[in-house]
Amino acid sequence: MKKTILALSCAVFSLSFAGGALAKDKTIGVSWSNFQEERWKTDEAAMKAAIEAAGDKYISADAQSSAAKQLTDVEALIAQGADALIILAQDASAIGPAVEKAVNEGIPVVGYDRLIENENAFYLTFDNKEVGRMQAREVFKVQPEGNYAFIKGSSSDPNADFLFSGQMEVLKEAMDSGKIKNVGEAYTDGWLPANAQKNMEQILTANNNEIDAVVASNDGTAGGVVAALTAQGLAGIPVSGQDGDHAALNRVALGTQTVSVWKDARELGRNAAEIASALAEGTEMSAIANAVKFTTPGGKEVDAVFLTPVPVTKDNLAAVVDAGWISKEALCQGVAAGSVAACN
Amino acid sequence: MRPVRFVSPLLAAVLLSAAMPARAEEAVAIPRFVEETASSGIDTVYEGEWEFMVGGGAAVFDCDGDRKADVLVAGGEGPAAFYRNASAVGGALRFERQQSGLEVSGVSGAYPLDIDGDGIQDVVLLRVGENLAMRGLGECRFERANEAWGFDGGDAWSTAFAALWERGWAFPTLAVGNYIDREQDAFPWGSCTDNWLHRPAGVVTRSFAPPLPLTPSYCALSILFTDWNRSGTPDLRVSNDREYYKGGQEQLWRVVPGQAPELYGPSDGWKPLRIWGMGIASHDLDLDGYPEYFLTSMADNKLQTLSDPGADGGPLPVFEDIAFSLGVTAHRPYIGETVKPSTAWHAQFEDVNNDGRADLFIGKGNVAKMPDFAADDPNNLLLQRADGTFLEAGDTAGIASTAIGRGGALADFNLDGRLDMLVVNRWSTAQVWRNAESGPGRWLQLELRQPGANRDAIGAWIEVRTGDRVQRREVTVGGGHASGQAGWRHVGLGEARSAEVRVLWPDGEAGDWQRLDADGFFIIERGRSAVAWSPG
Repeated sequence: MKKTILALSCAVFSLSFAGGALAKDKTIGVSWSNFQEERWKTDEAAMKAAIEAAGDKYISADAQSSAAKQLTDVEALIAQGADALIILAQDASAIGPAVEKAVNEGIPVVGYDRLIENENAFYLTFDNKEVGRMQAREVFKVQPEGNYAFIKGSSSDPNADFLFSGQMEVLKEAMDSGKIKNVGEAYTDGWLPANAQKNMEQILTANNNEIDAVVASNDGTAGGVVAALTAQGLAGIPVSGQDGDHAALNRVALGTQTVSVWKDARELGRNAAEIASALAEGTEMSAIANAVKFTTPGGKEVDAVFLTPVPVTKDNLAAVVDAGWISKEALCQGVAAGSVAACN
Repeated sequence: MRPVRFVSPLLAAVLLSAAMPARAEEAVAIPRFVEETASSGIDTVYEGEWEFMVGGGAAVFDCDGDRKADVLVAGGEGPAAFYRNASAVGGALRFERQQSGLEVSGVSGAYPLDIDGDGIQDVVLLRVGENLAMRGLGECRFERANEAWGFDGGDAWSTAFAALWERGWAFPTLAVGNYIDREQDAFPWGSCTDNWLHRPAGVVTRSFAPPLPLTPSYCALSILFTDWNRSGTPDLRVSNDREYYKGGQEQLWRVVPGQAPELYGPSDGWKPLRIWGMGIASHDLDLDGYPEYFLTSMADNKLQTLSDPGADGGPLPVFEDIAFSLGVTAHRPYIGETVKPSTAWHAQFEDVNNDGRADLFIGKGNVAKMPDFAADDPNNLLLQRADGTFLEAGDTAGIASTAIGRGGALADFNLDGRLDMLVVNRWSTAQVWRNAESGPGRWLQLELRQPGANRDAIGAWIEVRTGDRVQRREVTVGGGHASGQAGWRHVGLGEARSAEVRVLWPDGEAGDWQRLDADGFFIIERGRSAVAWSPG
């Protein structure tokens, strides 16, 4: 049991309470926004394993994309005796009453992956600003000067700005000294690859194709960028992304994308379980290992843990294969023999 | 008078699931709709890209005097199309396209109303560009009247409309909802433009003053004048699209004649609600005299009921969401791929199976190709059960189209007492369905008339009493998604062979109760006995 708890990935914080304050016989209620979405199955498996490893019980409910159903789901989880709740909010602006009810009954709440605007809810997610930093860092490593384009995320998604601010942080010095020039930036409506492609085409036209690197905020937009570059014969210049999309990892292997920042859902699930177990035992939110204070866009101060993602480049592609995230066949499709270590 | 519900949502859900087995067996008459688009003559696509991602409405009203509803379909980038209703009574739906003067491009939505009180319906065309007030000339001909009526059509992206006659004024007040700043296509977020209130220039003046901006505005996609608290003075409800506003919410403006409109706020009990508001439908579902409001959105839709009776001053504008407990969240497709949530637009309460209970139609369709929302998103037809909950019958009733729906209408196009359906679609032709079987229930259809400027008695309430049940309909112009109607007001009666009917006229005067035989059309003129009318 303890072994599992302590076997946290080096990229993720091991929790200080793991040795001493293991929860026992507590019930952890998990409210999913839409469990039919394939991606949450991975999170759940990790979450459930960690909850059961701690001797606790996992119960869950699926809101099926309905914010109204999620409110009743949370009430039902409380009625079933949940000692702590993990909530993946369908609509962060509508979940308030359920969180208030839990808080009033002394039941701690962990906001999972999506922020809940309530100072009494813990927030667990990957560090999006760090994702942005990693994207810029990897691109900058291979292209330390020249004309940069920035393909940002959807403007209605607060994460898009976190990412961009991380990118700017890394590149600020080179931009201030004039080594790097921002020759075009655009938000991508709905994070759609087609919109990213359109924006990239416009930036290329406006700059006579004189673009040396593109900082794209996720793999979908990177796909649109690479399509636009390919059409102009520019495929191969540095491009960033995130999510570890299979197509993007393949592009990393092919050399048309520089980095995909990967957030391992298993780490998110496992950490949520461990934080919820600790809170159920009575650990203060501020006493959770690696917890920091985070000011929400709505101006509330919450306790949060930000997990560190992994930048996947040509050099460490083996990690995603070893983790079972992608098959070697999918990763290496079309890759010239001997060009990438992970494909040998 | 008003049963205030303090049942917790959880308890409601428990009650709901406990009631499930019994309810499944309970008989609800499923109407049978037959799609007749191909043979109907209707063939108009709501076309266009970015500036036509919303809108896509229809105006349904009679303009040739046969009291059959004719149809104008918005064409978006293409011209709007007018169709004269040529359906035989009780027969297949047939429409003949003809020139009307309304064939302009850039139309997002259309609402009929008799602006100048001459007994002929006029039409307001909402546009991406200048809005047009089109005066009806008779025989389904229309001419521009912006100058004649002092109507400033502006140059915005107009997406919502409502109208009423403020008490004591001889000309209507028009409210126009506007969306994103058209010049900000590269960065539209936070660029919502002002909605407008076009009030008459004077008490007896038959023209409009320059529009009053309704600041702040938050990208309205539906607005409705409605007397939510039965004060006798309707207020303006505005449903806003949170995708594009910054710091916005749903709105309710207090509209007192002769005074600047004022927003209800926290001091009135108003609670912020942020949704992707696309359409408003209202109906007194619980028969307490106050309307419930259905608000369409993405994923969950909302059904609001008043929850604070207030003190002597009447209810407070505090609304509780009862969509989930009544089964009308309609948040994801009910057929096909059900993983991703729905996108809802037009909504309308009507009794499609004549069982005496209002049902709910919702038009559905992806904005364009938003990957996180259902691509195949069927329209909904939710039938109200005796216990007030709703049953999805879109597939069993035959209207489960997965074309990209926007606006539309439920209306009795062939005057057989059963409400038919029109849906306007983005990038494919509008569709029509004939309601071929609606069960054994009976019905009434009513037309109101009064002397003076507001001839069609906009703002009146129709009360229909059968036994100890009183159904009530507020006569409004506005709401839905970019789609308006004038003409017969339909009420289902269930098994009743007759009903008592009275009208509460817009100035508050109550007409007499009159007993009317079921399955008939009646024209109710103020101060007179109702007159039966037969199609033919």
